[in-house]
Amino acid sequence: MNPRDRILAAIRDGLTTPRPEPEAIAAEAVALLADPDQARPRLAAPDLAEAFGIKATALGTTLERVARLADIPAAVGRYLAAHGLPPGLALQPTPALTDLDWNGVAVHQGIAPDEPAALGMALWGIAESGSLVIHSGPETPILLSFLPLHHIIVLHEADLLPHLEDYTARMTGQAAPRNAILITGPSGTTDIEGSYVRGAHGPGYLHVILVTRQG
Amino acid sequence: MTAAQPSFKARAEAALADRTLKLAIDRTTGNAERKRAAALAAFPEFEAARARGKAIKDHVIAHLDHYLEMFARNATASGAQVHWAADDAEARAIVTRICLDAKAKIVTRAKSMLGEEIGLPHALADAGIERVETDLAEHIIQLAGEHPSHIIWPAMHRTREQVADLFREGHNPPPEAEDPATMVQSARRVLREKFLGADIGISGANFLVADTGATCTVTNEGNAELTTTPPRIHIVTAGIEKIVPSTAHAMALLRLLVRSATGGELTQYTTFHCGPRRPGDADGPEEMHIVLVDNGRTKMLADEFREMLRCIRCGACMNHCVVYRQIGGHAYGGTYPGPMGSVLTPVLDGLAGSRDLPHACTMNGRCQEVCPVGIPLPTLLRAWRSRGWREGLEPGAVRAGLGLWARLARRPALYRLASRIGVRVLRLFGRGGWIGSLPLAGGWTGYRDLPRPPGRTFMEQYRADQARKEVRK
Repeated sequence: MNPRDRILAAIRDGLTTPRPEPEAIAAEAVALLADPDQARPRLAAPDLAEAFGIKATALGTTLERVARLADIPAAVGRYLAAHGLPPGLALQPTPALTDLDWNGVAVHQGIAPDEPAALGMALWGIAESGSLVIHSGPETPILLSFLPLHHIIVLHEADLLPHLEDYTARMTGQAAPRNAILITGPSGTTDIEGSYVRGAHGPGYLHVILVTRQG
Repeated sequence: MTAAQPSFKARAEAALADRTLKLAIDRTTGNAERKRAAALAAFPEFEAARARGKAIKDHVIAHLDHYLEMFARNATASGAQVHWAADDAEARAIVTRICLDAKAKIVTRAKSMLGEEIGLPHALADAGIERVETDLAEHIIQLAGEHPSHIIWPAMHRTREQVADLFREGHNPPPEAEDPATMVQSARRVLREKFLGADIGISGANFLVADTGATCTVTNEGNAELTTTPPRIHIVTAGIEKIVPSTAHAMALLRLLVRSATGGELTQYTTFHCGPRRPGDADGPEEMHIVLVDNGRTKMLADEFREMLRCIRCGACMNHCVVYRQIGGHAYGGTYPGPMGSVLTPVLDGLAGSRDLPHACTMNGRCQEVCPVGIPLPTLLRAWRSRGWREGLEPGAVRAGLGLWARLARRPALYRLASRIGVRVLRLFGRGGWIGSLPLAGGWTGYRDLPRPPGRTFMEQYRADQARKEVRK
């Protein structure tokens, strides 16, 4: 027997319980997640944006709100100036961002190993935990979220979901991307005596620009 | 890895005498205990979540073959190559073969306890491959040439002063200062070059998601994604018990895992890896290999240690263990320390070489209380003790001592006489309420005091009390 068959045979030997049909196993698995509210934290506030903001800022993420996508270049310019950074950054190659009028901020694609700042876009935000969801793809290099020291993420307020399960429900029946990542705060470590230090390997700063209106 | 020489007793004695070690352990476990308590206070649904987590793990274990086949099918469909390893040697051989076939020179690694369990660090070194540990704590112990002493904070036995010494030697240029923030910056600089120059990235998996074929890693540093994205090949090594039915089930367990481990709600990065780079993807590895490792797990499925397969490796049991907090992780001698390690090491290394571990426990039950999936750790430790007894592994002195006690216990009058003498003799060594030193018991009283017994035995007091009640009637 090959190792696969040996392992599966050993499992079947060890399991003395009756083996139900796959449909019955699937039904049991679904039942384990019934009444999710009983076993998950309540939101920090009734309003999704407020709840998201409370959780995100508690982790050291900074947050600002703009009305429209067109307001983003100015907001980015202000952020870079406030942190004493040169007026330029790596930009996620997604048309919603590249089509904006970047007059005054030198944007580039491709990301350097020591990139000072990068701007990307989240697919969803999760109010329960203050997390942002990104998926890898042609327009979403994963390294854009990990190499820069300052990571700025755009999120449409309409894309806020209450709980983690609301994200998994959105993905049901969809093809999974190579990488699906929940980003919950800037990179940090407690590996030296348990004391918290930001910017371990990933970004030391995470800034969310919440866009309140569509279009 | 083996729990061999020197003996557990000798290792524990050395650890107890090491004041710096005690300081280092207290700093991290103290923090962990406080943060976990705060996280639970803010999550009143924790008990319900724990019951659910336990049920999810039990469900998966009861249908492990079904879910493993589903996972392998979906992972293969996503383009990953799935390998099966019955033991540590097979797992090492598979990973080394992939590395050698790819002519890999530099391999980056994101912390994985399973990798330690199967002896991957040594295997890569033997194959002449440069291994770069990217988790900050793993980087520290790689510089020190050590093994992890904790499953969440592998370098928790090192004080910041000791880390500063290691970085001064190992970093070029050395860090400019010795505070944690400056040292973290130095490691970031040193490791950044390695991430981008690696041929292969190896990670573990916190979860294997059956219905998508994805593997899940959780990190706070972002080192897993920097390990798995730039190289041409991503290898995952994972124990077969890591499986969950779906991403939603993983989420339910993540709520328990992170709060129990670090007191956070989610780690900074929760990442699902599903197959290699897709056509058109901006980055990602061209190949993904997943090595599913048994290494004793199917054996546990068939005996009284099945419940241990629920373990999600959060480390809460060791953070709350009075023994771990005195001796640290290295004294245990196996890959996994603390209460969960004392259950797992006899499975992995054999009971004969590790029979002391299930005895290094006060049975105070704290580990079971804090376990996010309700593993009855004290019961399992007792099961190893009985098995050791049945298999005749207990040393002659212990067997003789217990035999003597049993003979005495079967003769109540003699037993009561002996205990009457015993408490009165013990009282002679005490001052106030405590006994600070006792002949033949220096190993105990060297590190803690013994409560001074009251003047009379329980039975004497009970009789007197009953007699008083009789009079009152």
